[in-house]
Amino acid sequence: MMTDRVIFVCTIIAAVVYLYATTLIPSLEIGDPLGPKAFPRLLGIAVLIAAGLLFLEMWKERKQRAPQGSANEADAWRHLWIIVGVTVWTGIYYVAFERLGYILATTVYLLALMAWFNRGKWVANILTAALFGVLSFVMFVKLDVNLPRGLAAFSWISDGVLVVVNAVTNVIKSIRTSF
Amino acid sequence: MDTLTHILNGFSVCLQPINLWYTFLGCFLGTIIGVLPGIGPSAGIALLIPVTYGMNPTSALIMMSGIFYGARYGGSTTAILINTPGEASSVMTTLDGYQMAKKGRAGAALAISAVASFIAGTLGVVGLTLFAVPLSSMALKFGPAEYFTLMFFAMTAVSSLAGKSPAKAMISTILGLMIATIGIDLQSGQPRYTMGVPELQDGVGFVIAVVGLFAIAEVFITMEDMTKGVRSEIIRLKGRLWFTKDEWNRSLMPMFRGGIVGFVIGVLPGAGGTIASIMSYIWEKRLSKHPEEFGKGAIEGVAGPEAANNSDNAGAMVPLLTLGIPGGGATAVMLGAFIMYGIQPGPLLFQNRPDLVWGLIDSMYIGNIMLLILNLPLIGIFVRLLYIPSGILMPLILAISTIGIYAINGNPVELYFGLIFGVIGYVFRKIDIPLAPMVLSLVLGGIMEQSFRQAMTISGGNPKIFVGSVITVTLVALSILSVLLPFLLPRLKAWRDGSRDTT
Repeated sequence: MMTDRVIFVCTIIAAVVYLYATTLIPSLEIGDPLGPKAFPRLLGIAVLIAAGLLFLEMWKERKQRAPQGSANEADAWRHLWIIVGVTVWTGIYYVAFERLGYILATTVYLLALMAWFNRGKWVANILTAALFGVLSFVMFVKLDVNLPRGLAAFSWISDGVLVVVNAVTNVIKSIRTSF
Repeated sequence: MDTLTHILNGFSVCLQPINLWYTFLGCFLGTIIGVLPGIGPSAGIALLIPVTYGMNPTSALIMMSGIFYGARYGGSTTAILINTPGEASSVMTTLDGYQMAKKGRAGAALAISAVASFIAGTLGVVGLTLFAVPLSSMALKFGPAEYFTLMFFAMTAVSSLAGKSPAKAMISTILGLMIATIGIDLQSGQPRYTMGVPELQDGVGFVIAVVGLFAIAEVFITMEDMTKGVRSEIIRLKGRLWFTKDEWNRSLMPMFRGGIVGFVIGVLPGAGGTIASIMSYIWEKRLSKHPEEFGKGAIEGVAGPEAANNSDNAGAMVPLLTLGIPGGGATAVMLGAFIMYGIQPGPLLFQNRPDLVWGLIDSMYIGNIMLLILNLPLIGIFVRLLYIPSGILMPLILAISTIGIYAINGNPVELYFGLIFGVIGYVFRKIDIPLAPMVLSLVLGGIMEQSFRQAMTISGGNPKIFVGSVITVTLVALSILSVLLPFLLPRLKAWRDGSRDTT
């Protein structure tokens, strides 16, 4: 099978790179008879053995239904572009994450994904994206998880949300104490 | 006698209002995670770790194990109503559960799976209570060599049982170990494989890896399916949520048998819930007087596997708590959570923190009762979750994963690591490389190398220490056996069939 061959080659490459990187680890072998290299070296050898086992498995399956597999395999990768798109978009989201601030970046990120995957339902999508951005921000700030507020140009969004939340909690508190 | 007081004390810990609340929260979140396809207990627990960081460890762990066993309850609902396992181990429930639902018996299928889960889950916790003390006192005699061989056995067992191809599972295991060696070596202080990236000096955080491999990758797979237009119909829940007397009688024995199978498989490393439920299904089909009904809506085919995957859960906690060594992916994440709170599970924990251990174990009795209530009268609420369009749900899971990763250190570079693991997880899923072995070895890698080096220091560099005691010899033999098993089994079967033909 094609994918198995690719896995086989990649595993060998990974093993060689790993074993080479192992030789670069500086080691002063004092007190510790093995040092930092021994265990990785064993792993490098073990992964080569595993690749050998994979080769044996491929050898055994070679005779079984070779032609049918390839058609299915081509089909399996047909929709790859959508995953590449989502991955790139998520990467852009991470670049913008600290600059735009959590709320703005997340809302825009979600909105685009929902516009694609949940097409046509604009009201629901905009409401969910914006509400999720704001509510999750507030929830995590209350849980002491600090999410980024963004550069000065955008931080007013997060600050504004927090001012509102604090005002509301203060009102609730004062109502409670007055009763 | 001493143990009995500890067990009873555990109830006083888990019955504290705050811990009852966290048990409930864990079970509730677990049911949601179980019902929702696309996010499983491993990712769910990993996402919670950063949020619960400041919490009292007992409460946090009670909540996390609530998610762990709660997800098994929830998974069956999705399996029955939309023919998709909400959680990997409920895959067998789709076979007969969905057929029952099509025939209008969805209520009976949901009820029997909740009751089977409850009975077997509780039986499993009883087993955990009984086995914990003898096993943990045996484990007290373990030295580094014993621990190393034990971890070795856990990994070989997972490798040979995790997927279709043992070689690919083995590659996955060793890749996990390799990733675990990234970072500063604790014994010599030397940086290894950091490629000059300062974020890699502390190693690759396992939360990042788990969120990437399980949550993000799963979202990618679902998004791809959505583009392909794969959709299954949701069967509306109508009629009474209960089963008839006849259905109950047919399910009773499968539940107990499934419970026993599940617990035994759970204790052993490697197999896990999916295999437990498959074995229970095969067993029930073989014992049944009407095997032709299986696959067409036989209630035994729901009761048995559901019982098996729930008691498997309790069984899987046995090696985790008593030895500190997980036997599969989800318990590996649990171990990671323990370590994050500075708690090392294992025999010493039973001596030093009996309140924590027994509080946790006893909370599972209560959690199972809560889950029975959540999954019977209140199941209607959770079923609504299935009506959330995936086009909204999947992006939200990506955003939640982002928060989970960012919350650990507040470092944006780690977000990219998470995304890389997501892509790796997606590719591995596509090419049939199982992910559970990788997570197990990622979590165990550091401890494994340490015990390896300690053992070698004790023996002065002589590897004979790994076959130096009865325990190590047994474990090494078991490891070799588990590696050879997938190669020997087909031959043995062919030989047996061959000899049967000649006679």
